[in-house]
Amino acid sequence: MGVLIGILLVAFLAGVFGSMLGVGGGVIMVPMLTLAFGVPIKTAVATSIVCVIATSSMAQTSFVSRGMTNVRLGMLLEVATTIGAVAGGVTAVLVDGRVLQVCFAAVLLYVVWQMNRRRGDGEPLRTGVLEAGYYDPASGEEVRYGVRRTRLGFVLCLGAGNVSGLLGVGGGAFKVPIMNLLMGAPLKATIATSNLMIGVTAATSAAIFYGRGYMDPHWVVPAALGILAGARLGPRLAVRLPARVLSVTFQVVLGVFAVLMVLKAIGAPL
Amino acid sequence: MDPVERTIRTVLLVGIAVSVGLMAVGLVLGVARGEALPRAMVPISALPAALARLEPAAYVSLGLIVLVATPFVRVVGSLVAFAFERDRTYVLITTIVLVVMCLSVLLGRA
Repeated sequence: MGVLIGILLVAFLAGVFGSMLGVGGGVIMVPMLTLAFGVPIKTAVATSIVCVIATSSMAQTSFVSRGMTNVRLGMLLEVATTIGAVAGGVTAVLVDGRVLQVCFAAVLLYVVWQMNRRRGDGEPLRTGVLEAGYYDPASGEEVRYGVRRTRLGFVLCLGAGNVSGLLGVGGGAFKVPIMNLLMGAPLKATIATSNLMIGVTAATSAAIFYGRGYMDPHWVVPAALGILAGARLGPRLAVRLPARVLSVTFQVVLGVFAVLMVLKAIGAPL
Repeated sequence: MDPVERTIRTVLLVGIAVSVGLMAVGLVLGVARGEALPRAMVPISALPAALARLEPAAYVSLGLIVLVATPFVRVVGSLVAFAFERDRTYVLITTIVLVVMCLSVLLGRA
């Protein structure tokens, strides 16, 4: 019973942060399940993937009704992330996993540095490409924006999909900086759109994990229920908080994620 | 909300409601029979029979299947909505996403 309540609580928090930042909460769930609850790694990854789907679905009902999700941008980049995820298996064979993890950690730290330097969103771009708009309750303004560097963003999303295929995370940690820093979409629209995208990648992986029998209802059910509750709260916070606060929280989560990956690469028992 | 957004929202809400409902039924059945949560999913081929026998594991498994299937249905829903809007580019883009999703599930099985 104590374990059940523990999982519910951890999943609730992962749901809040995962949906608030558009990263899906796998970043929090996998280490917590393996370290604190002693769940075997493959079962933990399978559980976390279901949690990412639950976060994505629940959070999206809120983001999409506020008009924050750029559905067309998300769908276009999903072409790249799904193809990248399929290719993940190939990359895993060609490159040593530990080398990859260190490279990813380096990219994450670079992203943290870039986000920190920029200090929140600049003026929204009016490029006319994939243009969309939303109402931002934090500033009380209607924001209209377009995106730039669509081609480069698409290519990098191939890489983001590849990573999520390899590491079993939704890949939101890479999608958010690609759309925000590179393509120039405001952070809130980026978080909402990333939230939509991670569900697709995670659903594909989950179907495979289900077929291979890694899903254990003992862990998955309380985790899914907890995360659904958390993902109802996260979008409300994301919508109301200033972009600057979201950006700093994102940097902290990414920093921790990078450190965990390095630890894993050098053989720490995670 | 435009029609595409409304479709996505409806699909997701229904998916979550059905999934949580089924898991709740499974949990209630489990408590009623004095069983703990099952440790393995019921294979899809064995589901109908197990559901008919009111096995808690079957309802929990079906709930999780619905949860996992929701993003697939969401993509199909977007495809239909783009088709209604006669947005050919996005019908094509969404079809590619759907095909790649199905392909990777098939490849992963092999």
